[in-house]
Order: sequence, then C-alpha cells, then structure tokens
Amino acid sequence: MALSESSRTRLISWLKIVLPLAAMAILSTLFLISRSIDPLAEIPYSTVDLRDSARSERVTKPSFAGATEEGDMIAFTAESALPRDGNRLDANELAAEIDFASGGSVAVRAEAGQIDQPADTATLRGGVEITSSTGYRVETEALAIGMRQTRAETEGEIRAEGPPGTFTAGRMRLSTDPETGKVYMVFTAGVKLIYDPGSTPGPTEE
Amino acid sequence: QETTVPFGTQADSSAPIEVQSETLSVSQDDGAAIFEGNVLVEQDNMRLSAARVEVIYNETQSQIASLAASGGVTLVSGDDAAEAERADYDVTSGALVLSGDVLLVRGPSTIASERMRVDVDAGTAQLEGRVRTFLSQDGD
Repeated sequence: MALSESSRTRLISWLKIVLPLAAMAILSTLFLISRSIDPLAEIPYSTVDLRDSARSERVTKPSFAGATEEGDMIAFTAESALPRDGNRLDANELAAEIDFASGGSVAVRAEAGQIDQPADTATLRGGVEITSSTGYRVETEALAIGMRQTRAETEGEIRAEGPPGTFTAGRMRLSTDPETGKVYMVFTAGVKLIYDPGSTPGPTEE
Repeated sequence: QETTVPFGTQADSSAPIEVQSETLSVSQDDGAAIFEGNVLVEQDNMRLSAARVEVIYNETQSQIASLAASGGVTLVSGDDAAEAERADYDVTSGALVLSGDVLLVRGPSTIASERMRVDVDAGTAQLEGRVRTFLSQDGD
C-alpha cells in the first residue's frame, strides 16, 4: 500500500526531527550517565608512607658480596636493612654464603643480624642455621661472621647433625689452616655425639 | 703364634655409639671428621678412650665405616682392659683391632702382643705377634 504523497512528506519531516534527537540521546549516555571513573583511584601506589621510608633510608633486599683475604667468596643478603648509626646496620632475615677457594661451601640463615662495617663483622642472631656442603646442619643462637677474613664463631653452644651423627658442642668456629689453606669447622668446649649404626640410611652391607 | 682369649663381656656392635671429646674438627673440602682431646667412644658396655679418633666413611659417604683411634688407646669391656697405640674399629662388622705394644690385663695375668683382634659381639679376642704372658705372683 503506497503511502499518499502528503503523509510521506509528513513522515519524512517528522523523522528529520526524531532521528537526530535519538542520536543525541544515545551519544549523551556515553558521557552523562556512564560509570564515574575516578582517575586518581586507578593509579596504583604503595601505601608506605613515603616521608617515613625516605627519612629512614630503609634499604630493601640489600646484598653485599666480596672475596676474603684467603680468596674465599663471601656474600650477604637480607630482607631489609636499616642503618643504626654511622657504620652499623640492622638487618632482618640475614643470610650469608661462603664458597671456599679450597673447596666446599657454607650457608647461614638467621632471623636478624647486625653488620658492623669498621669491625668487618656481621653478627647473626635468632634461630641461626648453618648448613655446610659436607652435609652438616648446625643450629645456634648467635654467630659472628668475618666479612674480610674467613672466620666465624658462635657465641654459645650448638646442636648439630651430620654424617657422623647428631651432636652438641659448647661452641663452633670456622677457621682456616694457614699452611694448607684448608677451611675447618671446629666444634669445641665439649662435644657429645650419638651415632646409630642401625638407623642411618644407606646401602646395607650383606 | 695366635692365642684366643675371652675378652670382657659381649657387646652389641649395632648399638648406638656415643662419642665424647673436647673438639671435633671437620675439614670442609673432603668432610673428614676428627675427634681430639681425651676422646671416649662408648658402645653398649664397651668403652674405648683415645687421644684422637678419626671417622672413616663408606664409599657413599652415607654411613660410618670405621673409627680410627690413635695416640694411645685404652679399651675396657666388662672387667677386662687392654692398652695399645692404635685401634681401628670396623663399625659394620664389629671387629676391633688394637695394634702397637698391646697389653691385655685379665685378672692377675698381663699378656703382651703386637696385635689384638677383638670380636665385640662374641666377646673374644685373638692375640697375634710375639705373645708373652706375665703372671704376677704377689697379685699386685
């Protein structure tokens, strides 16, 4: 059914008004009623108070590596470190790794530690665990490690397990034999060890 | 010639071994462990004291193969005692060999020899090399 001429023109003129309005309405939804985006909230920034960490010069994940006079490689890492005064640093989750030129290595972990630069000593405290490539695991409360020479000494007694068995000793120190350059882990002040031939794993001889 | 004598009481060679000493030093490159300073090795009712005891591991480094005691050793088991310069205790087989001026004291008699092979489990000992027995008359 063909529309009459006049109604067609009326329709067209009517459409000429309605269509632009509809377009305007759709366009406005883009701005007027869209989600309000807060530009500031989108940028992720850490909640650490910047002034505080700037003032305290807290260092995160510090590490220090070097060679000792004996030529052994020594490396320290920590979760974070905070300078205490001019030349002392408090660190938490301090770890040290020493690779001996004469072979073997020792790794140490502790909850906290203090690095004393002038004395070239790092003192690890709190759940100190020392593991050596020779299969020894030693636990103690505090251990002082030299940063320039290969030396380390516990402040108190130790509990340990290793190839010869489980044992305790009054003290443990790491020292280098000057002639041979070999490094020894020496347990002193009374060693008490228990070795159980039956229970240790390993091939059972016929 | 060879003389077999009972020695001390039987001991269990697979019982736990207790070692006490002044120091223990472990060399970091090959893991050799040496006890020094009046070392006392105790297993069941056998006691071996020495100036120095070195731990010798088996090939796989997972178990102790033997203990080498030196610097003058004294072995006491039950009421028998023996002295020598060295002692090698093969932990796995329970054979303990004393060597170097061995002196075995059993009650009134003292027996000297070059070497003494002790079977810890059986509680017997074999003396080898120039075995000489001294009987003390006045029971001192």
